[in-house]
Amino acid sequence: MVARNMNATEELAILEAAKRDPARFAPLYEHYFNDLFRFVHRRAQDRELSSDITQQAFLKAMLALPRYEPRGLPVRAWLFRIALNELRMHWRKRKEVLIDMSYREVKGLAMEVGSPDKEDELHRLARAMDRLDEQKARLIQLRYMDGLNYAEVGHVLGIGEDAAKMRTHRVLAVLRTYLSPGV
Amino acid sequence: MKYRYRISPEGRADEPTDAEIGKYRDAERLRYNYHKASELLHRRPLYKDPKAFIALVVIVLLALFIAEVLDKETPGSTPQQDERIAP
Repeated sequence: MVARNMNATEELAILEAAKRDPARFAPLYEHYFNDLFRFVHRRAQDRELSSDITQQAFLKAMLALPRYEPRGLPVRAWLFRIALNELRMHWRKRKEVLIDMSYREVKGLAMEVGSPDKEDELHRLARAMDRLDEQKARLIQLRYMDGLNYAEVGHVLGIGEDAAKMRTHRVLAVLRTYLSPGV
Repeated sequence: MKYRYRISPEGRADEPTDAEIGKYRDAERLRYNYHKASELLHRRPLYKDPKAFIALVVIVLLALFIAEVLDKETPGSTPQQDERIAP
């Protein structure tokens, strides 16, 4: 339930108020819960686990509030970053994570790498994505599966917008190489 | 850790709706967990509390004193043991 978009000024005002009184964090929790739950669920693919990790991410955000410094970026990206760290903590002993994606989610990526929108080609794209290391895979997920803009991708990964853009283009080039005939 | 992908027309089988996600939203639980966590975070360590620190020092000194007294009250126990061990 996302009632309406919250602008950066409103978010900042809530964060400042929440620093003094944690109970004032509630509007952000209500506003971003669904977004964060879906972000986690796309990766965890389990509702109970997604709920636990989402709650834990909000708790960590509240505890980190005194150290939060606004840099003009949306709170959503900050929350995604915390949630991603929680997921990594949860998966620290796993060697492999399987992610289900729909045709709709990979459509943008398929267009970028010049892969035709056909079932066989999309499966080839999935196999090419399997070959990416964790960092490269995370970039692609944030940009194409979560639909974040480059500024948000950068904020989630702790890099600048330009760096996020440049690295994404490099990963796309790697994917094109993997998809080229004979590789 | 490696990611593996499975691409299908529908994607994740059990994509939750807004109403279903709403069931997991629990601001009260978050507030309770926050108070519990912040209590733990801001709890003063025992050694930084002057009263607890003095109490700890007194307990350690008492233990040392009792050990000394007991050691003096039972003289010769160690030499006897030594004699038994010696060939």
